[in-house]
Amino acid sequence: MLSLEALQRRIARSVLDGNVMGLSALVSAGRADAYSRLRIYRNNTISSLTTTLMAVFPVTARLVDERYFRYAAAAFIRRHPPGEPRLVRYGERFPCFLRSFDGLTQMPFVAETARLEWFIAEALDAPAQPSCPLSAIATAMDAAAPELQLQPSLRLFVANRPALSIWTAHQKPDDFDGSVLARTHSERICLWREGEFVRFRLHDAAEFAFRHALANGQGLNRAATRALTHDPRFDLGSAILRLFQDGLVTAVTEEDDGQPTTGDLHHDRDD
Amino acid sequence: MPRQFHPLPIPAAAGIGLRAPHIGDMLKWRPAAGWLEVHAENYMGDGSAVAALETLRQSYPLSVHGVGLSLGSADGIDRDHLARLVRLCDRLQPDLVSEHLAWSVADGAFLNDLLPLRYDDEALALVVRNIDQVQSALGRPLLIENLSAYVALEGASMSEAEFLAQLVSRTGCGLLLDVNNVYVSAHNLGFDANGFIAGLPGAAVGEIHLAGHAANDTDFGPVLIDDHGSRVPPAVWTLYARVIERIGRRPTLIEWDSDLPSLDVLLGEAMWADLMMGALARDGAGSASGAGGQLGPVTTDQCAAPVRLPVLKAFHLVRPAASLANYPERRNRRAVA
Repeated sequence: MLSLEALQRRIARSVLDGNVMGLSALVSAGRADAYSRLRIYRNNTISSLTTTLMAVFPVTARLVDERYFRYAAAAFIRRHPPGEPRLVRYGERFPCFLRSFDGLTQMPFVAETARLEWFIAEALDAPAQPSCPLSAIATAMDAAAPELQLQPSLRLFVANRPALSIWTAHQKPDDFDGSVLARTHSERICLWREGEFVRFRLHDAAEFAFRHALANGQGLNRAATRALTHDPRFDLGSAILRLFQDGLVTAVTEEDDGQPTTGDLHHDRDD
Repeated sequence: MPRQFHPLPIPAAAGIGLRAPHIGDMLKWRPAAGWLEVHAENYMGDGSAVAALETLRQSYPLSVHGVGLSLGSADGIDRDHLARLVRLCDRLQPDLVSEHLAWSVADGAFLNDLLPLRYDDEALALVVRNIDQVQSALGRPLLIENLSAYVALEGASMSEAEFLAQLVSRTGCGLLLDVNNVYVSAHNLGFDANGFIAGLPGAAVGEIHLAGHAANDTDFGPVLIDDHGSRVPPAVWTLYARVIERIGRRPTLIEWDSDLPSLDVLLGEAMWADLMMGALARDGAGSASGAGGQLGPVTTDQCAAPVRLPVLKAFHLVRPAASLANYPERRNRRAVA
């Protein structure tokens, strides 16, 4: 008799790859066919995880048509099943998977839109801390090197196709103008959670570099330097003001031995 | 530091499974519901739903129901996931915490389904060890839920009910008796639902689940799918009534996960469960404390006629049986639906 561990591994494999051959001696189903009963578990797994992916990537699903999405999702689930039970964390690798999936290699906007939707999902599951009023910076004026702490839900990434424009156009599917799919320009996207919604900004290269550096804990000085390399006319004061206006600053602190304290930030892992 | 909530004990009344689409209505209307149950894994992040649940927790008793611990995994308990469950319970301070007698993780893959165990000594030792670990980490007993199954694993040396009774005896855990699961498994695997329930230590049952299921036709007859996608069917209400007759009132949850209806439908189902418990208590049943009662047969045929509110049919089936069997002097009273 198989050990419990070996038995579970064989059944788990059959759930994922659909191959139930050889399991008839291990399971019974009364008068029914054990193989067809085993397929119920496979159907449950594939359909529930596909539903999970469709909830995270709704615009992506509309872009490729639901039937094709289900086909791609099933292939993804077989190859990359969840590693843990928090399904809100499932799907991080799906955009990358789509990039090279059958039939989608010529449609890079699909994977880029999926990337955006993944970042939205991440932001929605991140804490929304109270934002700091602009007056806080006045009290920090005496500090030799004030630093800004930003919202943990902040995500910044460069989409190689106009992913935010595509996503926005799909929020009113009846009015969707397909011409946006033909555009090839990139977008520098900033998004964060506000209550139960997500807010977006499109940035130019300088402001994107500024926020990206800040979010990665590089400090105000380096963030400003990076922004200025993109645009010598970069207006630091206005950029800081916009951070406060967007509710993105959660604390103003003083640089500690050149290493500002940072929260648990995750940014743009692909770029 | 977690906020402090007033302890709100879960009453022996009906509650509802809280699902995301209903959170807004719950916050807005604060309807009468005995208590709420949430899936633990849906609240382990920091999204807005967690804050909403904390608000509701101030008004409603709460049960946390895990679907991902995989207590039956030969690989053991995922320590990270257990730590997340502990943090969640510290945060929400629920009155009840429950999980399934099942496995869903093997070879590092989470299958998002609940698979049955081979009920033998090896599995018993494993699950006892895993439950001990979880109860120790949580500092409280777990309620363990019976499974809805489509296959049985060959080589078992005991029934699922015997296995559950052993878990109660060896770990001090309680039981979450899912009546729909009993009905579904009994139909699919060909065992007697009443015998299953009679084999459980009734006093250990700390919670009951009720839900709907689907029936798929196959070449071998219908197979019942535990989809939580419809009203509680008559046969399950009938079986539930027999359970209450035997073990007394228990906190009873209406579960609904697919084809989610409006909140009032869910609350309506909970109301029927309350009415049924109340009616049985008035008739003298439903006051037992775990001693065995006699359970008559429950068949699908009894309740085969389509009815808009299946519980009505169940009332008519159950009330006369309870009255006649236990209290003959009341046989002229009309059943109240």
